[in-house]
Amino acid sequence: MFEFINTLLIGLTSGAIYALMALSIVLVWRSTRVINFAQAGQALASSYFGFEALKYVDSFWLALIIAMVGGALLAAFIEIAFMRVMLKHTTSGPIANVAPIIATLGLLQIIHSTIPMKWGGADVLISPPLSNVGFSIGEETLAFSPMKLAIVMLVTLLLLFFTLIFQKTNIGLSLRASAFSPELARLAGVRVDRIRTLGWAFSGATGSVAGLLLVVNGTGSLSPTSLEFSLLLISGFIAAVIGGLESLLGAVIGGLLLGLVTAFVLMYVSDSLFFIAPFIVLLVVLIARPQGILGKKGGRRA
Amino acid sequence: MHKLSNLVRIILFIVLGVVIFILSNIVDEYRVTQGTTIAAYVVGIASIILLTGYSGQVSLGHGALMGVGGYTAALVGDQAGAKLMGETATGVNLPIPLTFVAAILAAAGIGALLGVAAARLSGPYLAGTTLALAVGLPSVANQFKSLGGEQGLFYIVGDPPTALGEGVTQSKWYFWIAALTTLIAIFWLQNVMRSRYGRIWKAVRGSDVAAELAGINVARAKILAFTLSAGLAGLAGALWAMTIGTVSPSAFQLALSFSLLTGAVLSGVTTLGGVMIGAVILVAIPEIVHSVVDRVGASQTVADNLPSLIVSALLILTVIFVPNGPVEQMRSKSMKKKARHH
Amino acid sequence: MKAINRRKLVSAGAMLAVAAMTAVAVPAQAFSPKSETGVTSKEIKLGMTLPMTGSASPGYNKVPAAMKAYFDYVNANGGVNGRKVTLVVKDDQYVPTQAVAKTNELILKDRVFALLAPLGTANNKAVAASVNPAKRGVPVLFVNTGFSGFADAKKYPTTYPILPSYVMEAKIMGEYIKDNFAGKTIGLVYQDDDFGTDALAGFKTAGVKFATTVGYASGSQGAATAAGWVTKLKAANCDVVILFGVSSATAAGLGTAAALKYTPQWILGSVGGDATTIKAAGVPAGVLYNAVGASFLPATTDTSDEYVKLFSDIYAKAVPGSAFDNNVLVGMNTAFVAVQALKAAGNNPTRKSLLAAMKSKGSTFASAGLLPLNYSATSQVGYNGYWFGKYSPTGDLKPEGGSYTLYTTDSGTGAVVKSTYKRPAMPAKGLPK
Repeated sequence: MFEFINTLLIGLTSGAIYALMALSIVLVWRSTRVINFAQAGQALASSYFGFEALKYVDSFWLALIIAMVGGALLAAFIEIAFMRVMLKHTTSGPIANVAPIIATLGLLQIIHSTIPMKWGGADVLISPPLSNVGFSIGEETLAFSPMKLAIVMLVTLLLLFFTLIFQKTNIGLSLRASAFSPELARLAGVRVDRIRTLGWAFSGATGSVAGLLLVVNGTGSLSPTSLEFSLLLISGFIAAVIGGLESLLGAVIGGLLLGLVTAFVLMYVSDSLFFIAPFIVLLVVLIARPQGILGKKGGRRA
Repeated sequence: MHKLSNLVRIILFIVLGVVIFILSNIVDEYRVTQGTTIAAYVVGIASIILLTGYSGQVSLGHGALMGVGGYTAALVGDQAGAKLMGETATGVNLPIPLTFVAAILAAAGIGALLGVAAARLSGPYLAGTTLALAVGLPSVANQFKSLGGEQGLFYIVGDPPTALGEGVTQSKWYFWIAALTTLIAIFWLQNVMRSRYGRIWKAVRGSDVAAELAGINVARAKILAFTLSAGLAGLAGALWAMTIGTVSPSAFQLALSFSLLTGAVLSGVTTLGGVMIGAVILVAIPEIVHSVVDRVGASQTVADNLPSLIVSALLILTVIFVPNGPVEQMRSKSMKKKARHH
Repeated sequence: MKAINRRKLVSAGAMLAVAAMTAVAVPAQAFSPKSETGVTSKEIKLGMTLPMTGSASPGYNKVPAAMKAYFDYVNANGGVNGRKVTLVVKDDQYVPTQAVAKTNELILKDRVFALLAPLGTANNKAVAASVNPAKRGVPVLFVNTGFSGFADAKKYPTTYPILPSYVMEAKIMGEYIKDNFAGKTIGLVYQDDDFGTDALAGFKTAGVKFATTVGYASGSQGAATAAGWVTKLKAANCDVVILFGVSSATAAGLGTAAALKYTPQWILGSVGGDATTIKAAGVPAGVLYNAVGASFLPATTDTSDEYVKLFSDIYAKAVPGSAFDNNVLVGMNTAFVAVQALKAAGNNPTRKSLLAAMKSKGSTFASAGLLPLNYSATSQVGYNGYWFGKYSPTGDLKPEGGSYTLYTTDSGTGAVVKSTYKRPAMPAKGLPK
């Protein structure tokens, strides 16, 4: 019984982090129609920003905010310096639709190689601000601790925040309009270029939170080649695809689904299915609903 | 118009083969082993050129398909060397040509399945699926004891036949096998690309809808491209397995898929002419970086990561400024010049 | 016609140029054909592969700096018969296929004299099969793994282990369990490859019955998978749990168990038992307290030991700010023995003379080990035993009862007996004659 509950809780926590990652991917997609494969790399870099910040400030939460700002700036820089230039040059030609994918993959590799050069390839430690020891119910201990509770709450907060921005504010409207039809948006007075950068900045901020939370959800050790970040890259992206790429809620559902399924597979089936589980979930969803759970039909051939 | 006749092409390939053979006897052993790696990359990159450059589909999972080929080779190939080591020789012990064919078929089979899925997806959805495959498929080896787990399986081709004499080291033998296989594979691929299928794929790449209107069965063309591309990747995997001597899940990670994609873009993803460029860059850059770093005395972390940084930077520059690759760029320049003169 | 010729020329020219570039780019190191590969009048070059980065690297990535610290000390004091010892280190991330590639580089490109302390059971097996240093006559000294198979002189004629084998360790652990935990429920976490199966064989010989065994795939160890291990161990009601994996696996297991408030009696295998590495991974010292551990070298906190004192002094000067832990001690000890082997190879060392020296003089080499080295004409076994201890409140391993009780055995079915070995005094200033 407790095994089931524990697995549920583990899946929920990691699913929340995947959802956050998926959210940042969907934010970029919905505002610029690009899949940013470098997202996980940016999250990794932002986690290192957080690690640096912790050398100067004592509070993890303050370091988190600094990392968010760092992540947003990094994303904005990438949008201005790379994406705009690239999109300008590759609007036609045989590899027009795969060029952005390849470019962001290249960016991911660049980030992955630069990080060890500054911080070394070995593990660094970020101490979780809250205890990771589980709550006790009678004799049993739950796989849910104050730290994990904080993670879930923070993710929920961010999700609500961004959904509000996207759906209820003018900025959100401009973001959606710029992605849907840049020309029309310009005609309506929207500064499309600036709005796009903003979209990237938002995604950079959410990505950094996902990265740092991932670190403190585990043992607190951070390294460029860490297992958890490889999983974050894939799971964040798969969660976004499962959710349909079109809706923020879909990203959340995709993330939670992925987290839960992976946790149950790891616990009840086998340890080594760590990487196969996301693939199976993706296959099942795409076979049953090729446009993703909350995607719109016909939108997949974008 | 500008196509070389088949006879000329065959002669060209033979000449190339002879040149490679001569070179292999001049350079030292380490270069020969690098040559084998380059050969494997050439086949792998060619598979991406076929898939992405010709039929317009994207795959981030060709590293995993190489893995399928590699594991097949380890499972059915002759284990001469393993037996020498006293290891239990796994597999059916097929001779090399049959082993490679088996690797091609196994990978092509998976490729066909993938192709069927790919025909229904495009853009980010296909990228996502192949990404998941790239990461998920290698870990299947951990599920079955017979696949060796993380430790992997051996594929030791063994010593060259004694008839070739003393001067032929194992490295040279492997290189000749790899080089011959690569030449044959590229020649065959060039044939396919110049055939009706090549034109069909180019049409599909240009526009699905227009191709459909022109009477082409788009889905079938795409699946065929995926299958053939996967088969080539499988062959590359078998060559890879031969070079390293072991296959394990960690030999076929996501990074390998990225490398193939990078190599293809650097070579010019739309044409086969520059396929060696990407392969050589992938092997030469780490080499050059290491010697520069040694001379300058920078840290080991820099040495280990700088190659990847440089290659990725080259990739991005290529995608932005020379998206069709250097060879195609030269071609279109010379065509434009001609057009002006006429 | 002209256009065809030009295109043909360009393509062929491009391919040829590229092939030529490969051939002549950056020439491989020159070597004098008169002396042995890797040996010049000034230098002896050794090569090493190990995980410097990656999930298995924590702890082990300190070994190169430790070894270099000792080699620099020797070089500053006359070197080995007048030659400086240099160490070329390559990162293989604990992946067997990368170990093969990097070892190929060491042998063919860097042209090292011998391989020193390459790390990893699976890695060394892969290298032996693919690179085949034995066939090339390249000595592989003091492999950093306890896989018992490497002592097989027929299969691995040029390979010399130094660490006690996992079979030995498991058998001695089995005796310890019989003496101290008889009747308790025992669980085991092991790595699911030859490293782990070697240990399982040892436990079987020792007659240890496990309530449950949990195998993890190398590379998958982390907080997420460790939660699964703990659940299984808890479900089997294990009172005693042996963690026989690499350091990162041990740390993950201990940390996750603490988070789930599961506190069995821990027994840590020597491979993953380094306290500093575990604490650096975020495991509180309190979790380590009273865990059982083993070593064949003196405790790293035992400053009364002359070797520990000397090595920690050298290390503190060479790598200031870095903690002197068990990985450092093992590394420096291996370097210490390696220097003696190189010296014994003579004034004009060749690979053959090095291997001959190991056979004839290997057992006489001084070392920090509290057990003898068992090299001979018929044996390639290094150390053959362990002492057991408990981790202190600060999380450091100390011998039980304050003095070292050493047990020794073989990798076969021989019994576990107490050792009466008395370690000879250290050569003056830690510089072998």
